[in-house]
Amino acid sequence: MHDRSTTPLQSPSPIVAVSGLELTLSSAAGAVEILRGIDVEIGPGEQVALVGASGAGKSSMMMIVGGLERASAGSVLVAGYDLTDMSEDELALFRRENVGIVFQSFHLIPTMTALENVAIPLEFAGHRDAFALAAAELEAVGLGHRTGHYPGQLSGGEQQRVALARAFVTEPRLLLADEPTGNLDGDTGAQIIELMFRLSEQKGTTLLLITHDPALASRCARELRIADGRIVGDVTRAVAAG
Amino acid sequence: MTAAVSTGPPFLLTWRLARRELRGGLRSRFRGFRIFLSCLVLGTAAIAAVGSVSSSIGAGLRMDARALLGGDLELRIHHRPATPQQREWLASNGRLSEIVALRAMASRIDGKDRRLVELKAVDEAYPLIGTVVLRSGQPLADALALHDGVHGLITADSLLKRLDLAVGDRVTIGDATFRIAGVLLGEPDRATRGIQLGPRAIVSRAALDATQLLKPGALSQYYYRILLPPGSQVGDVRDRLAEAFPDAPWRIRDPAEAAPGLTRFIERLTLFLTLVGLSALLIGGIGVGNAVHAFLTQRRSTIATLKCLGAPAGLVLRMYLAQIMLLAALGIAVGLALGALSPLAAAPLVADLLPVGLQAGIYPRPLALAAVFGVLTTLVFSLGPLMLARDVPAAALFRQAVAPARRRLRVQDVAVMGMLVMSLAALTVLTAHDRPLAVWFVGGAMAAFAAFRLAAFGVTRAAARWPHPRNPRIRLALANLHRPGAPTTSVVLSLGMGITVLVAIMMIERNLSERIAEVVEERAPAFFFIDIQPQQTTDFDVLVRSFPGAGAVRQVPMLRGRITAMAGVPVSAIEPPPHHAWVTRGDRGLTWARTPPESGSRIVEGEWWPADYDGPPLISFDAEAARAFGLGIGDEVTFNILGRRFVATIANLRQIDWASLGMNFVVIFSPGALERAPQISIATVQIDKASEDALEAAVNTRFPNVSAIRVRDVVADVNRIMASIDIAAKAVSAVAIIAGVLVLSGAVAAGRRRRIYDAVVLKTLGATRRDVLTAYLIEFALLGLVTAAIAAVAGSLAAWAVTTGLMHVDWDFTPGAMIWTTLVCVGATLFFGAIGAWRALGRKAAPLLRNE
Repeated sequence: MHDRSTTPLQSPSPIVAVSGLELTLSSAAGAVEILRGIDVEIGPGEQVALVGASGAGKSSMMMIVGGLERASAGSVLVAGYDLTDMSEDELALFRRENVGIVFQSFHLIPTMTALENVAIPLEFAGHRDAFALAAAELEAVGLGHRTGHYPGQLSGGEQQRVALARAFVTEPRLLLADEPTGNLDGDTGAQIIELMFRLSEQKGTTLLLITHDPALASRCARELRIADGRIVGDVTRAVAAG
Repeated sequence: MTAAVSTGPPFLLTWRLARRELRGGLRSRFRGFRIFLSCLVLGTAAIAAVGSVSSSIGAGLRMDARALLGGDLELRIHHRPATPQQREWLASNGRLSEIVALRAMASRIDGKDRRLVELKAVDEAYPLIGTVVLRSGQPLADALALHDGVHGLITADSLLKRLDLAVGDRVTIGDATFRIAGVLLGEPDRATRGIQLGPRAIVSRAALDATQLLKPGALSQYYYRILLPPGSQVGDVRDRLAEAFPDAPWRIRDPAEAAPGLTRFIERLTLFLTLVGLSALLIGGIGVGNAVHAFLTQRRSTIATLKCLGAPAGLVLRMYLAQIMLLAALGIAVGLALGALSPLAAAPLVADLLPVGLQAGIYPRPLALAAVFGVLTTLVFSLGPLMLARDVPAAALFRQAVAPARRRLRVQDVAVMGMLVMSLAALTVLTAHDRPLAVWFVGGAMAAFAAFRLAAFGVTRAAARWPHPRNPRIRLALANLHRPGAPTTSVVLSLGMGITVLVAIMMIERNLSERIAEVVEERAPAFFFIDIQPQQTTDFDVLVRSFPGAGAVRQVPMLRGRITAMAGVPVSAIEPPPHHAWVTRGDRGLTWARTPPESGSRIVEGEWWPADYDGPPLISFDAEAARAFGLGIGDEVTFNILGRRFVATIANLRQIDWASLGMNFVVIFSPGALERAPQISIATVQIDKASEDALEAAVNTRFPNVSAIRVRDVVADVNRIMASIDIAAKAVSAVAIIAGVLVLSGAVAAGRRRRIYDAVVLKTLGATRRDVLTAYLIEFALLGLVTAAIAAVAGSLAAWAVTTGLMHVDWDFTPGAMIWTTLVCVGATLFFGAIGAWRALGRKAAPLLRNE
């Protein structure tokens, strides 16, 4: 493992390319500068950990890359789309086709069964066989027998597996994961991480992972460190597969 | 992705998603929707009930229309019979019945007591439709027949009670003596006249001649009813009749207009009660909005998740709109069902007030109207929260504190809401029989909403800015009024609006009854005497003026005629202004005078004619009616008086005080034109209450043909009708109050979690249960008092506007209604506040603190 002070040269067409990225939000106490000029590129199939202290800007950067937040300045290219000038609904369409998201607190829809939760992005996209694909994806995460259960009837680990299935079912080019094991115990968390890495490798999905856990970060071939709204470290290392 | 993409309609996806949310059951997922449903059920039920009862009365009227009219066609002539030629024409077109109606005095033969009766003289053909029902069951002809030289008379039980007589006893009317032959239970052609001044008495046509009451100009009506042969069309006969006698003085009615006065009255009452019902629905709308807001707040994270997964904003809006409207449909359906059943409940209540029974049935029009009102109200009040929910950002899942969700609607959202509000307003106005009144209501409702919102804002700001009191309980109470999510706005708006409606209705009612009582006590004459013959006027005047206790006496000539043209335009070509249509509707009482009336009116424009005027006919016209018809000084008005045409020029306009209950005429002629026409005199007399009976007896003995109408009796009848209307109005406004209380209880319940947490923390910090309870009670007492104060002012303003602007009645501030409603308001807020506080105090501290 060695530090690199410059952005590595990536494959010819990066999946994520941001430059001069800034984000300033207004709050009751005045404007808050969250991101202060970020330049980074992530190539297809890369597995990248995003680390830093609380409030450093990790989630904000992830939200901008996922089209959930608009940058105040700078350019954002994801999967070949320039997100800068896209409307709310165009961004929704972009996410539906290109991005999967996994949250710390799962965010499953409590009124829907596991199968319905997984099928819903496909339904938005108008896929006729949404439920068959969703069932296959649940099978792949080991929950083939729990399709009819509601989130309230599933354990934390099971809920996060459903969330993973939901994120991967559209075969997104980019998976954003925000502390996916933060709400799980150690063993369960480890199983989820295994599953996530396996799926992203199988499907060739680029992985951008926010974590506070150094062990988890070290599973990724590249680690971006954010502090005070800037990238302060970009490390690439060799990792053992799975 | 290789999966096929469907092109299915997007509403299917919307519906599928909505159904998934609804699937969990109303009870668990839509707990807050009890208030939502109750508000919609109440509001739509009130509107549907008013409409259904009104429609069932209308259907009852239509069903009994021929019987009520007494035939297929009715002709009415004032003061004189049809000519032989006219009678012959009528008889040749169907079965004819002739009836004469007039008011007369029925006296005990010992002269000890007497009573004005509504006398009806009928021929053998009467009734053409239906039967007259006597208590004894005997046929009408037998009862009225001449036995031992005495004619029979049938009458209502009330006359027998009043005169202390029984069947078989005798009474005198005019110059004739009658045998009381039976008690009248049912009359098929009842209530086709306006206000009844006395009990009905029926005699034969021959018997009426014996009374000698039918003197020239006597205030009598001749009715000619025809029963058409099968296959004959009413319209054809009307047309041929108009062709044969184009200038005949009669007024023709067919079954479609069997009871026009009653129909108009029902229409007005329906509109009034519908507007009160609509107020209840609008107040309930606040509860609808609150429930939707609370529901969508709980769904924030689901909405954000859906957006993260690629749901467009429109889909989120549609999905939740579908759920809200589905629930609304449920509430509206229950409301409509209750409304549809209401005629069954109302039937026994209105049985004594109406000449017809309610026709039970389902009336789709009022139900559809109530449904549309319900849907529009739901949309108006729930779209705001829905549109804000649509704009919940996907980023809400990551971040709440910085950059909170958008709190303002977009410009296009405001436009959509504006269009919905306008649709609601347009529907209210377009479906009303009296559009100006509906426009006033819409304006008033909008102003009240705006005013109460502003007031709520003011209360919140005032509570925030108030210097901090030393007493911690009061400080906590004030803080609770202005903290984020406080129920202040909801309570001020909903309960305030409800109390406003109640204050307004109570004050209008109190003012009207006080005005009537005041007029009766101070200004109104005790008696109207009618049918004084020209040769009796001097003797009558002497008798009455010299009577002990008698005050002002006014006697004026009177004859009847109708306006046929105004400023050269035939009345048939004039669209009458709604509040003055009566001026050109049929015959009006006319008089002539040398000098202006001493009381009841004053000249506001033009000059009165000289007392010895003898030129072309001039008239003095009611100033308000003239303004409504666009008439002014110098305009010509054409009259048909007893078959003769008169053209008269307007010389002056009078402002008439109709509420004085004196003799007031829309039109007064100058001398010269009408003196020689057949006419009678009418007189008003003021007299001590103690001398009323003696005067009535003296006049009746001396002038048997003169009828006395006691104003006190008429007012008592009017008061009885008003009392029934008042009950209906109070019932519907009670619905408005209930809606307000529902919203109040919902708003208090919504803050329950926070209140429990507050109570637990306060108790942990050493506050006693009493401290916490006192703080909550102070909070709700303040809220109730402020709301009541604002509502009292708004209600008084509304009542003032209606009494002075619409009813043209003097206004008095009546604090009684206000005090009463203030107590209700404070009581209701305290009650619900105390329940909330009590529940909060009952919670144990430890588990809650651990969870938090």
